[in-house]
Amino acid sequence: MASDFTQQIREKARELLEDGTVECVIGYETGSDGISARPAFIYNAADVERLVFDNTCTHNLVKYLLNKKAKSTAVVVKGCDSRALNLLLSERQIERDKAFVVGVVCPGIVESRWNERSEQLQKRCDWCRQHTPVVSDFMVGDPVTEQPPADFADVAEEEAKTAEERAAFWQQQAERCIRCYACRQACPGCYCTDCFAESLDPEWVGIRIAPAESQMWNTIRAFHLAGRCISCNECERVCPVNLPLSLLNRKLEQKVLELFDYRAGMSEDAPAPLITFKKDEKLGIAE
Amino acid sequence: MTKTLSKNELESWLGNILKERTLVAPRCVDDLTLFLPVASVDEIAFDCGNTDLSPKDWFFPRTEALFTAEHKDADIEITPAVIEQETVIFGIRPCDAKGIAILDGPYLADPADSLWAQHRAKTTMIGLSCSSPAPQCFCTSMGGAPFDSSSVDILLTEVNDGYIVDAVTEKGEKLLQGVELKESDVSGSVPSCDTQVPAEGITEAVKRAFDDPYWGRLADRCLHCNICAYVCPTCYCFDIRDRTEGGKIERLRTWESCQSKGFTKIAGGHDPRVDKGSRLRQRFCHKLLYFPEQFGPLGCVGCGRCVVSCPVNIDIREIISDVQELGAKVGEGSS
Repeated sequence: MASDFTQQIREKARELLEDGTVECVIGYETGSDGISARPAFIYNAADVERLVFDNTCTHNLVKYLLNKKAKSTAVVVKGCDSRALNLLLSERQIERDKAFVVGVVCPGIVESRWNERSEQLQKRCDWCRQHTPVVSDFMVGDPVTEQPPADFADVAEEEAKTAEERAAFWQQQAERCIRCYACRQACPGCYCTDCFAESLDPEWVGIRIAPAESQMWNTIRAFHLAGRCISCNECERVCPVNLPLSLLNRKLEQKVLELFDYRAGMSEDAPAPLITFKKDEKLGIAE
Repeated sequence: MTKTLSKNELESWLGNILKERTLVAPRCVDDLTLFLPVASVDEIAFDCGNTDLSPKDWFFPRTEALFTAEHKDADIEITPAVIEQETVIFGIRPCDAKGIAILDGPYLADPADSLWAQHRAKTTMIGLSCSSPAPQCFCTSMGGAPFDSSSVDILLTEVNDGYIVDAVTEKGEKLLQGVELKESDVSGSVPSCDTQVPAEGITEAVKRAFDDPYWGRLADRCLHCNICAYVCPTCYCFDIRDRTEGGKIERLRTWESCQSKGFTKIAGGHDPRVDKGSRLRQRFCHKLLYFPEQFGPLGCVGCGRCVVSCPVNIDIREIISDVQELGAKVGEGSS
């Protein structure tokens, strides 16, 4: 499968670069450890042989479209990544006609870090119900029938704890946060020109790299992604101190699903619940 | 002849140390290993490899108050921060210790940074030779070695039934006072660090490759988070801001990184490093060009943390190789 996918991606990339459809192809290549993938930017057809696709292609490359470096760009997306395209299209952050989408029916992505590659699927793949990209101009692989939505066992487990236990758990997590902002930088939904966390006036979050500020940072970021997070879980993967950020995002995803029957990024046109006002809407909250 | 200490003796010595001082050692927290204070010797992870974060937090804390200011009657009273607590760091690796030592260059140059000087004076480093260098390590290429004792106060090298003890500095000898060491003829066999990085002459090569489009291409992939800077034992940039609480002002400094947007933004709004390529280039120019030009040693000790932690595989070893090639090409062209 992997070699076949790689071949199809290379051929398409060559064609797109040669006929001038795109200036750049964003895909994956083998990293410096020789065993796991990293993002690759291909500008010349002669370099397409660098492109690969395998089950270590974890990065959500849609993030890079926000850099708008090329006039037209092809991007390789998995199912979850493709939802980020819809998110950014609906929020008018990227232009559809400037992106050529090479969709890959995702085989599932394994846990890997530099020089370590396991056969264990990432946990986002357990939750995933979108192996087939929702947006594509060219599809690699055969679309699959998706299973019904997953439950939120991880969220339920966290909520089964007492408030004190939860507070202690998150306090301990916050002590580790170094506010490197890797979660934000990897997230396709985080594109504010001036992030609240670094705003000086007003200073929403103090400058300290300390538990109170870290909790504030991580909580507000999660809320900014409510109804927008597309579950690629890149934030959690990139975190150098392994904060369980998916618990925050999944709680909000569950709530949005429950209240609005809405999953972010499934279509470009569906009204996003938290920025849509309906006069007669009643959510059963505080009634 | 060498002096040795059994594992049990080491543990009881550390146990005595932590009665009087803060003992900082590698500890396993969830699936991470971090330098943290320990309440008992049992908490120490003796067999861990390199910690996930560097020990620089204990010399250059992620957040530290420089002074506090308060209204007193009609005046303002300023109280500079004073480090009183004596700290011992156990298990620091030679590369990390070297990382701390080379920062004496910028931090102790006149006028010396008072807090750095105090942390250095109050902290004793018990180093541990690296018995199994990790695949990402490349200390020997950067002028270090897995058994380099030059930057620690005491160096321990693991042998079959204990440790060879090498008291390097006066501070180290003082800490060892009253500890009975055995005379022995064992010698520690420490493997070399296999990964070779072509760092020789890199300073000149970086200079020549300064204007190459390479940096912009590399920055395509970079996410511009601060992981590399924050896990690095030798990244020492900071931000300063005041924090007010209950009429008291703290002037704080916190870690900051040249990868942050706005790191070099100046009054009036100009930013000389506005594009990502020049920000990424700055990281490597600082380590491989500016730091050695100003202070002597390369600003990288080869601990490999950034190699492992970078979410998109920006690998300094690969960059050093690439830049050597680029530099050579530019060199040919100009001659």
